Amino acid sequence: MLRRTIFDGVLFGFLLSVLTAAVLAPTEEQLLQLGIVSVWILIFFALGCVLSGALTRLRVNTLGAVLFGPLAAAEPEDRAWYRLFWKWQLLVALLAAFVVAVVKTEFSFIELFDQHGFAGAVRLFKGLLNPNWEVLPRAVLNIVETIFMAFLATSLAIPLAFVLSFVCAKNIMQGPVARVVYFVLRTFLNVTRSIEALIWAIIFSVWVGIGPFAGMLALMIHSVASLAKQYSEMVESVEEGPIEAIESTGANKLQTIWYAIVPQVLLPYISFTVYRWDINVRMATIIGLVGGGGIGTMLVQYQGQAMWREVGCIIAVIAVVVWALDQASAHIREALK
Amino acid sequence: MAEVLLRVEKLSKTYANGVQALKNVDLEVQQGEFLVIIGLSGSGKSTLLRCLNRLQEPTSGNIFFQGQDVSQMQDVRDIREVRRQMAMIFQHFNLIPRQSVLKNVMMGRLADKTLWQSFWGIFSAEEKRQALDNLRLVGIAEKAPVRADQLSGGQKQRVAIARALTQKPTLLLADEPVSSLDPATCHVVMDYLRKINQELGITVIANLHFLSLVRKYATRVVALKDGEIVFRGRPDEITEEWFRRIYGEGAQDVAPNDL
Ligand SMILES: Nc1ncnc2c1ncn2[C@@H]1O[C@H](COP(=O)(O)OP(=O)(O)O)[C@@H](O)[C@H]1O
Ligand SMILES: [Mg+2]
Repeated sequence: MLRRTIFDGVLFGFLLSVLTAAVLAPTEEQLLQLGIVSVWILIFFALGCVLSGALTRLRVNTLGAVLFGPLAAAEPEDRAWYRLFWKWQLLVALLAAFVVAVVKTEFSFIELFDQHGFAGAVRLFKGLLNPNWEVLPRAVLNIVETIFMAFLATSLAIPLAFVLSFVCAKNIMQGPVARVVYFVLRTFLNVTRSIEALIWAIIFSVWVGIGPFAGMLALMIHSVASLAKQYSEMVESVEEGPIEAIESTGANKLQTIWYAIVPQVLLPYISFTVYRWDINVRMATIIGLVGGGGIGTMLVQYQGQAMWREVGCIIAVIAVVVWALDQASAHIREALK
Repeated sequence: MAEVLLRVEKLSKTYANGVQALKNVDLEVQQGEFLVIIGLSGSGKSTLLRCLNRLQEPTSGNIFFQGQDVSQMQDVRDIREVRRQMAMIFQHFNLIPRQSVLKNVMMGRLADKTLWQSFWGIFSAEEKRQALDNLRLVGIAEKAPVRADQLSGGQKQRVAIARALTQKPTLLLADEPVSSLDPATCHVVMDYLRKINQELGITVIANLHFLSLVRKYATRVVALKDGEIVFRGRPDEITEEWFRRIYGEGAQDVAPNDL
């Protein structure tokens, strides 16, 4: 009921906003008045909710009702699609979203096939496909730096994430104080994880200066948050039996974790960690773009000078390494099963 | 008369969801007894055993074990010492998978280990020897280096018994020790339990289901129904009629005397 109303409210509210914007054609200046705009949006949302309720009264099935129930009216199996309100609702909403997206991204066939721009793209591809292998030694040196940057980030993240994983597991954190700690840490990690490694890299490149160290720190923070989440989910799914058995020998809490839980989660931990390293190498190449050091930084330098043949060489090196690591990590994880 | 090892007075347990699993249970256990608790699933047998070693917190009542009131203990170290003295085995064995049998058995010594020793898994030669002795006692010393998850059910339960013995307990709590074993293996495991009861003088409290096993192994029987003790007596006093009363009218099906 509540979910249906909210869902329909958002959908109808969106359509109303789009219509209003199309009719009134507000200027950018006006759109930037956050206060006024939010009042409008709230009004539209409320109208949408009312509309949803009204339609239900009229025994019309809205999309929200179909998704979340309860249905306002029974739906005959054989009714043609264009006689169902909610299908129209979906279609119109998608169309509207598409139109807005096209307008917003300034989509233009003219630019895509513009004579001048097109020639530039051709030049670029020619360069990329005809790499200058002279920069290969430098590229290899840099990708090695990248790989080790990812490796260090992963290794430093492991012990932190390991400890955090138990403190962030519901089945371990029982009792009022423990629950508060659990909740605070979980929230903190969720926030940390939702910030992309790229953003962390920008933060750290200001903090410790541009270079591999900043990139490594960024990857590490992100890895700690991601691994802790994955690890703690493993801890939450362990079998209770061995825990009870170890507790009943008179073992204390830490011994119980070490002897009953750790053996159960060790293999999945290793598997996650290998995968994380693999992800980190990929991320490390990107992070270099914002000053995180390694091959990404080198790439950005040549790209800035439009030296596409050199860029081609670097991209080839990245592709080979990422592919190889991907394969290796997949095989290792398979073997650990 | 032997002395009283355990005295339970007015023990009640109400779970957080409101289920009253035990209602004013009174029970006395003598040193050296083989006490069997019977009762339908859900009658509170596991809850009773798990309150004794404080795996569950009793809601009210007292548990006197060797003169100490276990139910009133606050210090976790005291509780851990009680747990060491009341070893426990389980229906699903609860061994640590991917660890060797010997290592599993040595875990019975964790109560005496410092954090440092536990972290590195440091066990003395003496402890290793004891673990092997206990494995020999249950007839599977040759399995010591094997991974615990590669054993059969009966072998796992014997390893669990060896782990329990390594705790040097005075009392052994066995929660349906043979319920996931086939009938033949069942007797093997029960025979080992009787052996440690008679030869090592360890008192045993076991939850069992089959009347034939109760008659063969118990020295005394207690029956639980809906969290209350409805029968106390010698195994030969438990007639078919009593059995039906405890287990309900469908009892024929759960009382295969031909085991
Ligand atoms: N952890 C628990 N939380 C809530 N209720 C439980 C819990 N464990 C057992 N119970 C309930 O307590 C009653 C007794 O259970 P239990 O002691 O396991 O019986 P038995 O071992 O005889 O089968 C049952 O009704 C069961 O559902
Ligand atoms: Mg039970």
